[in-house]
Amino acid sequence: MSNPVELHNVVKTYDLGENVRVEALRGVSLTIKRGEFVSVMGPSGCGKTTLLNMIGGLDNPTDGRVIIDGVDVTSMGEGELAKLRREKIGFVFQFFNLVPLLTALENVELPMIFTGKLSEAEIEGRAAELLQLVGLGQRMHHRPTQMSGGEQQRVAIARALANEPSIILADEPTGNIDRETGWKIIRLMKGLNETMEQTFIIVTHDPSIAQTSEKIFYMVDGQINPRPPKQITAPHPNNLTKERRQLLLAELRWLRTSLTSLEEKKGEMDREVYDQFKVRYTEQLERLKRIVQEVNKGGD
Amino acid sequence: MGRRKFRSALTILGVIIGISTMVSLMTVGYGMRQQVEITLNEMLGAGIMISSSGGGVDIPEYVQDFVSQVPGVNDSVAVITTMMNIGGQPRAVIGIDPTQATKLYHLTFEAGGIPTIGGENAAILGGATAAELGVRVNDTITLSTQLGGVGETFRVAGILRSIGEGQLNIGCFISLRAAQRLLGKEGYVSTIMVRLDNPTQGEQVEAILKNMFPNARIVRQEEIMRNIDRIMNIINGVLLALASISLGVGALGIMNTVMMSVHERRREIGMLKAVGAERWHILLIFLSEALLISLTGGVFGCILGLLGVYLIQWFVTALGLGFTIPLLVSPYILGTALLAALAIGTIAGFYPSWTAANVRPVEALRYE
Repeated sequence: MSNPVELHNVVKTYDLGENVRVEALRGVSLTIKRGEFVSVMGPSGCGKTTLLNMIGGLDNPTDGRVIIDGVDVTSMGEGELAKLRREKIGFVFQFFNLVPLLTALENVELPMIFTGKLSEAEIEGRAAELLQLVGLGQRMHHRPTQMSGGEQQRVAIARALANEPSIILADEPTGNIDRETGWKIIRLMKGLNETMEQTFIIVTHDPSIAQTSEKIFYMVDGQINPRPPKQITAPHPNNLTKERRQLLLAELRWLRTSLTSLEEKKGEMDREVYDQFKVRYTEQLERLKRIVQEVNKGGD
Repeated sequence: MGRRKFRSALTILGVIIGISTMVSLMTVGYGMRQQVEITLNEMLGAGIMISSSGGGVDIPEYVQDFVSQVPGVNDSVAVITTMMNIGGQPRAVIGIDPTQATKLYHLTFEAGGIPTIGGENAAILGGATAAELGVRVNDTITLSTQLGGVGETFRVAGILRSIGEGQLNIGCFISLRAAQRLLGKEGYVSTIMVRLDNPTQGEQVEAILKNMFPNARIVRQEEIMRNIDRIMNIINGVLLALASISLGVGALGIMNTVMMSVHERRREIGMLKAVGAERWHILLIFLSEALLISLTGGVFGCILGLLGVYLIQWFVTALGLGFTIPLLVSPYILGTALLAALAIGTIAGFYPSWTAANVRPVEALRYE
């Protein structure tokens, strides 16, 4: 059986007018297996969104090949891509992107209406079923404005599942809701991933959420690493530029918050995963502390 | 949301103004045309009218006998059409042998009837005139020439129905003899109405009559109707041009509203495309928004337009212009108005909808 997602050396550049060219993806290759639950992490502007655009068939790459469910979609036209998105991909967005005029039920019906394969009654039945599945059986006829962020995101997840896609793409699904609700959403997605065959790809800023996935891709400057970005071998502390120091301090802060959130979620996490990350983070933290100390000692 | 609704309401109002202008102007134009045609048909029961070239009462009555001999002429009636003072105001008066009157005019009586031929002075009053004078059957009225003079009194023998089809804006009918006597023109008439055996022979008969009476003014009804038609077409054209200006403004409103709606919903459109909508789905969604606006405006515009006709009617009556515009609800006009609404919705909505259809799906993932 073919892999749901295969990228071969994908390049995407944007022309921003006169001689200004942005390389959003610089040769990304990755393979995601069926049923995997993977995360994509990285600072903003690293190309995460562009990566999602490629996998989700929202845009064509400049170079390289994109293979979805064994079909090369690299140079598909608009119509073919629309069909691909309808049948193979489900999207979950940071800002939910529900149609405010439609009820939860109608929002979930949308993708099936666009597909046009089911009868009206079948569509409504399936939409209701999906809302039950995400725990919103009682809120079917509410509009997005009458729902909390978490509920809206559940509707969006139900919508993403509507056409039984093989891949669910979630772009910061917890980015706009409080942490606790965010975790409920993640658990819902994990649960769906386990009970259904779907492959989940989640972009997130939250390391503790990323930790729950089977695989994490770290993106830096339009490229991908299976491991957290290797720290640039520190030059002699005395040679550190001001910018470098600031970067190191930012990294330090990032690691500390990651560690805190890891501790917070300790109870809910797989012990093994927790330990693994704990070790990894602590190592990095110690290393950074050493560098900072040295910088301070070597001073000026 | 509230703002959007308000904006749509304003746009719909724009369309309502356009469509209602169109409906009321077209209805007025249509009503006028109907009115003029009915009146002319009533007035010109004849196929051909022979009248004095000077417009006076100077055609010898016996000419009628000659005319009747002309091949193709079925019948002819000698009449005097003139203006006389009745109740202090000049009104159209027709002097005609009462028995002949029904040959030319479809007379519908509100009260009374055609007077019997006799020595007495009897008159048939137009409904409007009777109402203005406040007289009833068997009351008496006084007719005098415009030059002044004492005049004569007439018994009101019948009053014509004043509303609806067959309404005549004629002050009154009196006998030919009485008219001649009042004007001091015994033996002369102003007009000879000619009825044809066959309307298609009009041109032939007209040619013969022109040869026989080179000095007279000979007019065929058809020609009058054609001239009137031409004038009515010009009036209608002007009215329609006025209406289309307001429709054009309405169309710009729709374009603007849908354009803004597309702009505000770029992410929503991107999302719809991300979940699999194709171009034509999006195109249809926004086109139907435009059509909803234009058709709502169209329906309310039709209603308001008909109310507008009442208003114009009332206004015309209040001004005392001496004529009324009938309110004829024509399904043809309402249909045209709704079609126009549909057309401006489609035309004005197409460009913004096309823009919407071309929004790229990546907009779904752009957060600003």
